[in-house]
Amino acid sequence: MKDLFIEIWESLKRNKLRTTLTGFAVAWGIFMLIVLLGAGNGLMNAFMFNGRDFASNTMMIFGGYTTQPYDGLEQGRDISLNDKDIELSESHLFSNHIDDVTANITQGPYPMVWKNKSISVSLSGSYPKIAEMDKITIEEGRFINNIDMQQRRKTAVIASTHAKQLLNGGTDYAYFLGKHLKIGNSMYKIVGIYKAQDNMRNNDVYVPFTTMQMLTNNYNYEDHIIFTFHGLNTEQENEEFERQYRAVLNQSHRAAPNDDGAIWIWNRFTQNMQMNKGTSILSKALWIIGILTLLGGIVGVSNIMLITVKERTHEFGIRKAIGATPSSIMKLIVAESVTITALFGYIGMILGLVACEIMDATVGKSSLEMFGEKVSVFVDPTVGLDVAFGVTLVLIIAGTIAGLSPALKAARIRPIEALRNE
Amino acid sequence: MLIELQGIHKTYDNGQPLHVLKGIDLSIDKGEFVSIMGASGSGKSTLLNILGILDNYDEGEYHIDGKLIKNLSEKEAAHYRNQMIGFVFQSFNLINFKTAIENVELPLFYQGVSRKERHDLAMNYLERFGLADWASHYPNEMSGGQKQRVAIARALITQPRILLADEPTGALDSKTSVEVMELLTRLNREEKVTIIVVTHESGVANCTDKIIHIKDGIIGETTINTEHHASVFGSETIMK
Repeated sequence: MKDLFIEIWESLKRNKLRTTLTGFAVAWGIFMLIVLLGAGNGLMNAFMFNGRDFASNTMMIFGGYTTQPYDGLEQGRDISLNDKDIELSESHLFSNHIDDVTANITQGPYPMVWKNKSISVSLSGSYPKIAEMDKITIEEGRFINNIDMQQRRKTAVIASTHAKQLLNGGTDYAYFLGKHLKIGNSMYKIVGIYKAQDNMRNNDVYVPFTTMQMLTNNYNYEDHIIFTFHGLNTEQENEEFERQYRAVLNQSHRAAPNDDGAIWIWNRFTQNMQMNKGTSILSKALWIIGILTLLGGIVGVSNIMLITVKERTHEFGIRKAIGATPSSIMKLIVAESVTITALFGYIGMILGLVACEIMDATVGKSSLEMFGEKVSVFVDPTVGLDVAFGVTLVLIIAGTIAGLSPALKAARIRPIEALRNE
Repeated sequence: MLIELQGIHKTYDNGQPLHVLKGIDLSIDKGEFVSIMGASGSGKSTLLNILGILDNYDEGEYHIDGKLIKNLSEKEAAHYRNQMIGFVFQSFNLINFKTAIENVELPLFYQGVSRKERHDLAMNYLERFGLADWASHYPNEMSGGQKQRVAIARALITQPRILLADEPTGALDSKTSVEVMELLTRLNREEKVTIIVVTHESGVANCTDKIIHIKDGIIGETTINTEHHASVFGSETIMK
């Protein structure tokens, strides 16, 4: 083994410039592959990061418009969800899949006033359960509870950003606990402060759902229903469930069971599934682009190995005359090819990893401001050890393929002919 | 008999068939010092290639030490060449980017001998040929005579049954030629190496004990030359 590497090293040393130029193409290919995968990972991680604060097994139901006439009623009717829909959702009809059902009414914006400061907020009439579903973290006090709901209390939970703004940048959020703030036309008692999200989510002020119904003067109204579910693992199962659910709710609103417009279903689970599918396609596409770039380098290596074999024909003739077997000659060429590919491939990989780190330190740390919300475009745009292993495998295979045809050519050299051409 | 050739025929077919060897019968015993003489085109190079297992033959049988050498795979041929035959060429055929000692080691590398062992053995051979100081020199730093001695060391390191020398003095001046032939003679006398020299120079052939003349693909006369008076030129020197 050591002898083999000494032979290869000597051969490479004899052709420094040529080897370097050939190797550059390989290094470039791997560099591109790593940078592409790193950027792709950054993009995918950002997707995940921006959606990390939601329970993934929830569906949101909105009222819509009928799109077909049914039961003697015309199309284009406005459907608004009501308490009956909550009852139906909680009923035995769906108890196999639906766990917790909550509803929401969001209204606003309203001015929220403290002393001489005023900020604009939306009021989200919510069930206590929403804290769990949306992964809301309480920093001070508590979230809305069932007693708030039953008694239609005017309690509110504000975001840490609200508190900060009202305190002119102060951080003593607990100060607001128990205080009464005017939001819109009513006074609310602040019972808790939650940790504000800095991604695509409105930082609403949470108030009890029932209080919100009272304020809108409609005790039988839901803006949307949110429920968690289980046991729906494939896209087909989800579709089938949605179809049944839609049929039941549509019936209760006297709309055609198959009317897709009457209620709108937003399924986070299937959405995640589609996103995962999307990211896996993206990742595959990046590998293909990277490998195609690498292919250029591999062709270069193969080409240079052919030239090497031609130059060394006489030498191989001598080797064969003194006892080299065809396979030992082949081994020499393939090993040299793999060495060039792997050596420069690793240089490219290291440079690629450095580039990924630079990317991480610059764009990875920044985020875009979108509709007043912070959105990360790149999160951790780096590649893992698995990619390094994958690349190693690709390099060895690529080097072998590049060296194979020149090696066969070398193995077929006939000593008498090789020794004749001086 | 060490070498036995019976009715060897060889035809090259490059466009039109060329019948080069037309039934060669030849036996050479262990420890003999033989030359094969012939003009260019006589078939002596082809015969050498067959003797050296570098080429196949069409008809007949070739035995080395009782072993039939026929229809070998490339791998087997390489193995037999490595074990049984040492080559010395007109143009030395040393590998230019390897030092003298690395060149001498190479046949042992293909036998799988360890680094240390083959290095020691190669050094041993170089010393015997007075080349110890040149061990780490590259071929292009050496004279023709030195190069040929390195080549002979490389040929002998595996202790082959036969040393095949193809015009071993062809690229050397007359003084060096004499030295090389003396070296071969000494190896034959002192170490009983079986040597076959292929040449068209009568002076070279005269150094050997037996001269086999080949002409138009068949063996002509065989001269016993133990007295070394065979050649008009060859009594005192090698004619250049």
